Amino acid sequence: MERSQDLALGLLFAGLGLAAAWQAGSYQGAGGTYPMVLGVVLALCGALVMLRAARSKTDAPRRLVDVPANLVKALAAGVIYVALILPLGFYTASVLLMLALPPMLGFRRPLYTAIVAASFIALVWIVFSLVLNKPLPAELWAASRLGG
Amino acid sequence: MDFLLNAVSAVMATGPLVAMLGATLLGVLIGALPGLNPVMAIALLLPLTYSMDPLVALAMVAGIYNGSMYGGAIPAILLRIPGTPASIATTFDGFPMAEKGEAAKALKIACWSSAIGGIASALALMTVGPLLARATLHFGPAEYFWIAMFGMASVGVMVGSDPVKGVMAAVLGLLLGTVGIDQLSGQARYTFDQPWLLGGLDLVVVLVGLYALPPVPQLAEKCDLKGLSAAQLRLASVPFRKGEVKGLLPTWGRSSLIGIFVGILPGAGGNIAAFLSYNAAKNASSEPESFGKGNPQGVAAAECGNNADNAASMIPALTLGIPGNVVAALVLSALMIHGLQPGPQLFHQNPVLVGGFMIEMLLTSVLILLVGGAAATRIFAQIQRLPGVLLVPSILVLMCVGVYVINGRPVDLWVMLAAGAAGYLLEKLNVPLAPIILGMILGPMAEQSVRRALLISRGDPVELLTRPISAVLAAATLAMILWPVMKALKRRRDKKMSENNA
Repeated sequence: MERSQDLALGLLFAGLGLAAAWQAGSYQGAGGTYPMVLGVVLALCGALVMLRAARSKTDAPRRLVDVPANLVKALAAGVIYVALILPLGFYTASVLLMLALPPMLGFRRPLYTAIVAASFIALVWIVFSLVLNKPLPAELWAASRLGG
Repeated sequence: MDFLLNAVSAVMATGPLVAMLGATLLGVLIGALPGLNPVMAIALLLPLTYSMDPLVALAMVAGIYNGSMYGGAIPAILLRIPGTPASIATTFDGFPMAEKGEAAKALKIACWSSAIGGIASALALMTVGPLLARATLHFGPAEYFWIAMFGMASVGVMVGSDPVKGVMAAVLGLLLGTVGIDQLSGQARYTFDQPWLLGGLDLVVVLVGLYALPPVPQLAEKCDLKGLSAAQLRLASVPFRKGEVKGLLPTWGRSSLIGIFVGILPGAGGNIAAFLSYNAAKNASSEPESFGKGNPQGVAAAECGNNADNAASMIPALTLGIPGNVVAALVLSALMIHGLQPGPQLFHQNPVLVGGFMIEMLLTSVLILLVGGAAATRIFAQIQRLPGVLLVPSILVLMCVGVYVINGRPVDLWVMLAAGAAGYLLEKLNVPLAPIILGMILGPMAEQSVRRALLISRGDPVELLTRPISAVLAAATLAMILWPVMKALKRRRDKKMSENNA
């Protein structure tokens, strides 16, 4: 398992290095030489990792993910959350994430979840909006009310 | 030393004092929570510091750094779960002490040892730092190029267990550092016609993604639904016995020196300092067999060693602009956020800021004694009753708000997610992440230095090696890269010889 993972990793870095070096070829003067050298060195490092993996006599197991289901849930929640921040507003999207993700991961205490979510979002609001006065993506409900 | 005296009054203002106290408390709390670490906390804190006074921002960094290095000892002693990687060695004797009913005593020794290690390290920073800064005033572009290369090589080779992957990560970091407009020619590189890439990849955004995001899916995978019970966290206050402090003094002295030395070396971190200090204490002991079975000297050595690494790791960062570890890289980022360029000029241009940061590292080490007492530790231990599963969305929200407020650009959130996914996978594939960040920081400095040096020498690369200091630095860089190769060849030769003999 470790051998095939390292082969893929080496291939990825070798490809990345070659692509970077090829792209640097279109830059003029010393501004192109430096990234081209780096691209070639990266490709060589990737090739070395591949070569070492190919010649390795051992193939120890190496798990990339311990609990795939939970990883997928967390990843999906993270992506959906980031995608919703702009259309729904920062605080609305954050409350939804804090209420939805714990039950998705098997936490069955809704009141506890709600109290932690409310306290945490209140803390974030106090620090970022009230004290630091940082502009965050506006809430959909507030924008629609203002817009009539 | 005048700059330190001038800095005292600036640090003794309300803002830095409150920031130090609050951040040390927060640091202990973060260190006490397994899954959270000082790098993650400081990475999350950086975006917040944009609008702050630099001395207040650095006070928070110092407090979180020193506080969390001690905080890691709390779960290490109570549960044999190291709160931070640097507290792994603390579990060896801390947990057996807790099993014998001496948890409170182990925590007290950890608290005192952390404070003493931190104080010694801050004093080293105050004395060695200015001397080194004065020496580096004679450096030209060629020397700076080789210093950057030496820093990269040592971090790439020493961090992680696979030097080839370390060097590969460092080169990736250097390459990421070239994204954006080239400062010397004005040419756009790797921007793919995206206007947001013209200024380059935002270091803090990538840093938060690479370091703060991977623990989130790991916490989700662990899926802790219960937290800890109150019974597991019961503690009582225990005073030091007569002569006990005197018995710990040699260990504190030895571990402080080891931690300071390790801190100055680029690439070596608090965990290495803790292990070396632990081994040194064991070797010096008249009863080495008692180590690992609840010997208080073991806890003292590990905790003093890992905190003695903290301020010392800032010596190359502040004087040369070369971060020896990721926290030092974060401190450099904090300085850059405030428009300050780390390196010898910093001591001349902003003496109050540099001196102030040194004093803050010292004071936050002293504060550990105040906030890390038995009563406070009892409170910090209670935070572990919070189910880990609730931390997953909380950290995600904190990361997103922190990253968004840097530039107010939604695209940064996607960059952070992409960096986080890459960081999660690369860590699992045994590729160290620290060289990537160091490459991003040192890359522009290395490129500009080498191009300036070549301009001065009219394109002759031999000039990079003709000055004595640059030649020594180049040889040291080469030795650093070749060292693991030689070691591997020797290992192979020894193995072959033993096979032949058999």
